Amino acid sequence: MRQYITRRLLEMIPVLIGISILIFVIFQLAPGDAVSAIVDPKTSAETKAKLREQLHLNEPILVQYKYWVMDILKGQWGESFYYKQPVSRVINSFIWNSFYLSLASFLLSAILSIPIGVLSATKQYSKFDYIFTIFALIGISMPSFFFGLLLIKWFAVDLKLFPVSGMTNPGSTATGFALFKEVMHHMALPLIVLTLGSLAGLMRYTRSSMLEVIRQDYIRTARAKGLREKVVIYKHALRNALIPVVTIFGMSLPGLFSGAIITEQIFNWPGIGPIELQAVNTRDYPLLMGINMLLALLTLLGNLIADVTYALVDPRIRLK
Amino acid sequence: MDELLIIKNLKTYFYTDEGVVKAVDDVSLRINRGQTLCIVGESGCGKSITAMSILRLIPDPPGKIEGGEIIFEGKDLLKLSDDEVREIRGNKISMIFQEPMTSLNPVFTIGNQIIEAIMLHQKLDKKEATKKSVEALKLVGIPRAEEIINAYPHELSGGMRQRAMIAMAMVCNPTLLIADEPTTALDVTIQAQILDLMRKLKEETKTSIMLITHDLGVVAEMAEYVTVMYAGKVVEEADVIELFKNPKHPYTLGLLESKPQIHIDKEKLYSIPGQVPNPFNLPKGCYFFPRCERAMEICKEVMPTLKEVGNGHKVACHLYGGDNNE
Amino acid sequence: MQTVRSVEAKIREEKILGPWQLAWIRLKRNKLAMLGLYILIFMVLLSVFGPMISPYNMETLDLSNISAPPSLSHPLGTDEVGRDVLTRVMYAGRISLSVGIVAVLISVLIGSIVGAISGYYGGIIDAVLMRIVDIFMCFPFLPLLLMVAAVMSDYKIHPNYRIYVVMFIIGILSWPGLSRIIRGQILSLREQEFIQAAEALGLRDRRKIFRHLLPNTFSSIIVSATLEVAGAILTESALSYLGLGVTPPTPSWGNMVNAVTDAYVFQFYPWRWVPPGICIFITVMAINLLGDGLRDALDPKLKH
Ligand SMILES: Nc1ncnc2c1ncn2[C@@H]1O[C@H](COP(=O)(O)OP(=O)(O)OP(=O)(O)O)[C@@H](O)[C@H]1O
Ligand code: SF4
Ligand SMILES: [Mg+2]
Repeated sequence: MRQYITRRLLEMIPVLIGISILIFVIFQLAPGDAVSAIVDPKTSAETKAKLREQLHLNEPILVQYKYWVMDILKGQWGESFYYKQPVSRVINSFIWNSFYLSLASFLLSAILSIPIGVLSATKQYSKFDYIFTIFALIGISMPSFFFGLLLIKWFAVDLKLFPVSGMTNPGSTATGFALFKEVMHHMALPLIVLTLGSLAGLMRYTRSSMLEVIRQDYIRTARAKGLREKVVIYKHALRNALIPVVTIFGMSLPGLFSGAIITEQIFNWPGIGPIELQAVNTRDYPLLMGINMLLALLTLLGNLIADVTYALVDPRIRLK
Repeated sequence: MDELLIIKNLKTYFYTDEGVVKAVDDVSLRINRGQTLCIVGESGCGKSITAMSILRLIPDPPGKIEGGEIIFEGKDLLKLSDDEVREIRGNKISMIFQEPMTSLNPVFTIGNQIIEAIMLHQKLDKKEATKKSVEALKLVGIPRAEEIINAYPHELSGGMRQRAMIAMAMVCNPTLLIADEPTTALDVTIQAQILDLMRKLKEETKTSIMLITHDLGVVAEMAEYVTVMYAGKVVEEADVIELFKNPKHPYTLGLLESKPQIHIDKEKLYSIPGQVPNPFNLPKGCYFFPRCERAMEICKEVMPTLKEVGNGHKVACHLYGGDNNE
Repeated sequence: MQTVRSVEAKIREEKILGPWQLAWIRLKRNKLAMLGLYILIFMVLLSVFGPMISPYNMETLDLSNISAPPSLSHPLGTDEVGRDVLTRVMYAGRISLSVGIVAVLISVLIGSIVGAISGYYGGIIDAVLMRIVDIFMCFPFLPLLLMVAAVMSDYKIHPNYRIYVVMFIIGILSWPGLSRIIRGQILSLREQEFIQAAEALGLRDRRKIFRHLLPNTFSSIIVSATLEVAGAILTESALSYLGLGVTPPTPSWGNMVNAVTDAYVFQFYPWRWVPPGICIFITVMAINLLGDGLRDALDPKLKH
């Protein structure tokens, strides 16, 4: 197992280098000059030149890349143009809000999607299957921003059941359980939007994985032993069907930090989403590069976790 | 003779996008207690589907048992409730499937899968069940059974897996063992061992065996009685000695003729001219007509029925019985 | 069902059907897929011919009649400068549909070439190309897209040309998935007989790839491409909604929904943002229905 993880970690290195090159190149493509973006226009040419020197902007591009990578490795992710604060601090102060929201949605869709997917598969073409097929279709076809807006319009603006936006009431001083309740109240609508999207996919995925498994020979063997249908489905079939599903769950882990950009924006949830969009609009490149590098790292980590869980649940992988 | 299983006019159809496949069409057969019946026939003629129909394991959809009776120890299996059939599965009738590589669940250990069957049908606790499965594995000649019991299927070779399947099938002392080409996937030496094993089990436990095979050598070695199938129908049945001495149906003759002395490629065992008929487009008369060397006018129009031609030998061919009796 | 089957059997008897004809027969039998196809055709016709038939011009202002609610003369009302919303929705359909389709064409072009080369040559070429695919796939799609869109925005491209930029960005970022699929298929096709036959004929590599291998992956390409169009339309709408895609005055369904940034419009003039949103939803759903149907029709083995 340890060997397996080490190998996977080593395999990640070239991909990571590739990703950093990609990010670097994309930002090199941006027109204009980072210095003019940082300082105010009145700064003297001399100061600017000094700054260029400091930022290694006069060096050849490969050298610039080297400096940038070194900085990242040292944990120096630069300073946000907009916040005038280290990028890492900016990210840190918003990313956990994203995490709470996405984690709630992740748990909710995991809890719902597996039983629904299994039932849809075992009762293929039944009314139940049909209803959830349509539900899933709606889920994957609905633009999240539009769905979010509709929910706000109906449930927040017209019916006033939920707050329109934010994570807490403006100027709230609630603590403890009261704070939790307040956050939950704010979270409800964005949670629905996020969950609709991921639930649809996971449900269909579980369903088709289950359908695939119940056609297998070993399921017939299990029936031929005289096992009850419940045991056949929930012991023999489900255990196999979940193997790919677990992988999907693993791969959606990084989405916990970035999957909600648009939804967060719509509901003005103080997470990484609105910050990233703001960084895009204000061309806050250090912040953008930082966020993207972090997300890419998390994705790689998620893939690794997915692989490891895969190996844990599938005995065929364990030995390799 | 004491009949254990009687199948009467079994019809199992598949409703596919391309049309209806009559995989088993009006098949009748019989197995006596303590005897071995062999079913032979080309690939796709409905042998496995007949076997699976007995335990009602036909995937539905697309398959459906459309008619007939399957009488086992006096009861029609097709009329039992699902619970009653489950009582019989793996207990009184067990089955070894054609594909040893894929018939074991990859995520459970061998032991787990055998113990499960024992605990289900015999009221034993886990410890006793474990002991019993080790014995069963030893019985089928698996070395180091105490270790193998904790192995996963992918850690075993095909031959070992097939033995494990046999152990699993035998562990509850079934009265009928259905073995669907138990040796096709295995190499020749292991084949012989497995057949030996089945013969031994049969002698020791008086189990009846329904053995499906391509291999006429296996038939000669194992069977007391033989049924030949073609395109979902029984075309000939007889005592094994009678059949080999006195084969009647042109298809059976073809099979015997093309039987190789040493078979290298099991898949290409038979070389009867022509091809297996398209199940969607069967000839009107005798299904074997397009390939038959001795076909007559009547064969094109009229389907022959299975008729007794003496000695308990039955054949479905216009050459025999009626006016054309030889 | 029974009658359809017998009809099909009859057709089959008369002549042997090619795989495409068979697929079409299967598709026609799939009610949901056909519903998707009809909706899609309707949306395309509406976008292509709607603006021509409409008595209004997309850009004509009518300041005497601003933000008017739906009425007989303006079925979907008017916007803040009195333009007819229905006409703009129809015109936006042209933009959104063509962005979706062109983006996917770009992605298919790159994806199938990379996939084919990777699968055909194998070895080091395959390893390098697939690592590149890994890099793209390891990136959360939306952040990558936002990053590229931000950089592109800095070039101050004229709004009329931004649509091409959007097509290009979406296309260039979505090929890796497809290239993996194609690669897998080419790998298994290579082993099959007819390629060995081509090998024996001594055909050139390029000819082998483009004439013999790729055409055999058409059914997967068609299925993936169809489903990808749905994704591309969703992506374009999200980008445009965020102001990073197609920007006004060119209307797209996404940027029309962006009218909600005005809280008053959001609350009191729903006709200005709900119809384009519904159009995105309906179109994407229709394409998904069709795509699923195509998958079942072209690859019946996969059918669940
Ligand atoms: N799930 C299914 N759907 C449709 N047709 C099926 C299905 N299973 C079996 N059939 C058809 O039923 C017929 C009989 O199949 P069966 O498996 O009994 O053949 P067999 O005699 O066991 O052949 P083999 O020697 O290859 O095992 C075949 O023509 C096959 O196409
Ligand atoms: S019935 Fe006729 S065609 Fe059929 S096997 Fe006998 S002789 Fe041949
Ligand atoms: Mg078979």
